[in-house]
Amino acid sequence: MAARPDRLDGIQDLISQLRRMDFQTSVILLGFFAIFLFFAATLHDVGFLSTRNLTNIVLQTAPATVMAIGLVFALSAGEIDLSFGSVVAVSALASAVAMQNGPLVFGVLAGVGAGVMIGAFNGVLVAYLKLPSFLVTLATMGLFAGIARSMTDLRSIPVINERFTGFFGSGHLFGVPSLVIWTLATVAIGHVVYRHTRFGAHVLAVGDNPRAAQASGIKVQHVRLAVLTLCGTTAGIAGLLYAGRLQAARYTLGESDLMTVIAAVIVGGTALYGGKGSIIGALFGSLLMGMLNNGLILMGLQVSDQMIVRGLIILIAVAISLREVRR
Amino acid sequence: MTLNINLLAAAALMVLAGGLSAETVGPGGESATPSSTVIVSDDKVGMVQAAGYSAALLWHDQSDFVNAVTAGARDEFARLGIEVIAVTSAGFDAARQRSDIETAMAAGPNIILSLPLDPVTSAAAFKAAVEAGIALTFLSNLPQGYEHPDDYAAIVTDDLFAMGNQAANALAAAIGEQGKVGYIYHDAAYYVTNQRDNAFKTTIENDYPNIEIVAEQGIADPARAEEIANAMLLRNPDLDGIYVTWAGPAEGVLAALRANGNSTTRIVTLDLSEPIALDMVRGGNVVAIVADEAYELGRAMAASAVLDLLGEDVPPFVIAPAITVTRENVVEGWNQSLNIDPPASVVAAAN
Repeated sequence: MAARPDRLDGIQDLISQLRRMDFQTSVILLGFFAIFLFFAATLHDVGFLSTRNLTNIVLQTAPATVMAIGLVFALSAGEIDLSFGSVVAVSALASAVAMQNGPLVFGVLAGVGAGVMIGAFNGVLVAYLKLPSFLVTLATMGLFAGIARSMTDLRSIPVINERFTGFFGSGHLFGVPSLVIWTLATVAIGHVVYRHTRFGAHVLAVGDNPRAAQASGIKVQHVRLAVLTLCGTTAGIAGLLYAGRLQAARYTLGESDLMTVIAAVIVGGTALYGGKGSIIGALFGSLLMGMLNNGLILMGLQVSDQMIVRGLIILIAVAISLREVRR
Repeated sequence: MTLNINLLAAAALMVLAGGLSAETVGPGGESATPSSTVIVSDDKVGMVQAAGYSAALLWHDQSDFVNAVTAGARDEFARLGIEVIAVTSAGFDAARQRSDIETAMAAGPNIILSLPLDPVTSAAAFKAAVEAGIALTFLSNLPQGYEHPDDYAAIVTDDLFAMGNQAANALAAAIGEQGKVGYIYHDAAYYVTNQRDNAFKTTIENDYPNIEIVAEQGIADPARAEEIANAMLLRNPDLDGIYVTWAGPAEGVLAALRANGNSTTRIVTLDLSEPIALDMVRGGNVVAIVADEAYELGRAMAASAVLDLLGEDVPPFVIAPAITVTRENVVEGWNQSLNIDPPASVVAAAN
């Protein structure tokens, strides 16, 4: 899909964009709503359709959705970040530790700052030392997981700043949970940047054909640095969301998110090898993952059966999604 | 060893160690109540069945141990006519556990049985369940700041000190109470393994002056046990015994000993596993496995929660005993721990 720069008409534009949605995104939405209707029909008597449960799904997937936005940019540029799960833990712990001795703003700066710096570190290695992002982030995944473990000597750190936990976790604004606002805000910003700015167009161009992008004057290495920094940043924000939601930070946070977020992004229609992607698709991919976890638990399945069914559904979704990407 | 001091101070079930006279006590110094005394009597069964209660089992992970706890709880709930509406596994992920709690609560259970992953992160996670008046029974860990009986029905756990202590005694007996041993402990902030590991070390240090722990190595990823054991054996080829924190990594340690042609170093570990038990009954390196009564833990958790719903006084801190399983008692031990027969391969080798 070609990117169209220079038109930023906010929500109006987002709606018209949704109207022009390609066949692939329609397939994702169709699959999402098919599974939703299945759960709604079979689980309506155990509370699946309750406002509380549906809100839970959005709250539970908020950190993964935020991480997915960064990953869409990275994959679209032909790069990958495997380290973002470790970044989540470092960011959450940095934030919690900073707030033990300082105000909320210290915590936010420490958390987001850790994400930005780690992302930039990955980006410099990839863009300027010309190392493959897969290998760089495979290494830094372990590096930062180790740092997260040593930061507080494996201790969990409580977060007692109520403004922080409200803003990033359990609070509300005009009756809307803060995590829902974070989800919508980051998706909206991500979508606009991805679809309607020169940067978004450059990301897709680099992912589609880096040599052609270079020849047309795009600073390919800058784009690579930027997408990996963005990945670190979104992981840093996800760390703050986890710390706010759990009112604590722990070295295991984000550890199990890598596969979930990659699956969400691929199911959402982003090509694994660059040049194509969708922020809206990643949102629905992430919600699909959360909805599957939720629905399969409420069905009363054994844990192993939940894993089997979830794996099969993701397999089908990825197969359909990749088939459409190849078309 | 890295030990989470906050975790212990905040929540935990403290073990007052003092050699063999040590006992496991609760977070507020409560004395332990044997699980065998926590019973929903037959005359109350009709009343409970009529109430139409439901329960959710929100575990930290999946394993034989969790399966046995689940079986114990399910059987007790079945006896009492209580429907189990959700079973989850958080894969040691605190955020996932919080999601599991929220999801299960949408189905409106009266009872939640769970192992809180760690006191700090679990405090907020279970708050909504406490506020909803759900009868909560915790396995082995307690969220920070929770008070009995207002916030939870009971903590049910293994006699953690006894497990590490019995492992030390078994290894000491196998090596004639003298020699050099290696100590492979769980390098993570996880209360259960931390306590058991410490009890092993404390017992060796306090009670066996002729045994020296010459090598210590933490393990975070069980898949790396073999390489850790190889390194340990390279530096200490004359080890008489190795303690391994639980059976998963012990399988890797066993593989390392076999690869080195070592048939003399003895292994003692915790929790039952088929490959480990098979080696033991065949007279291999493994000399003892210390197991807990997992099925009984599940039964006692279910009973505690039901007694709480009935408004009865429930002891705050309940423990199930530990069993030392050796070649001689493997069939009985397996049944006592997991309420199932040992795997066919173990039975065949034992005969």
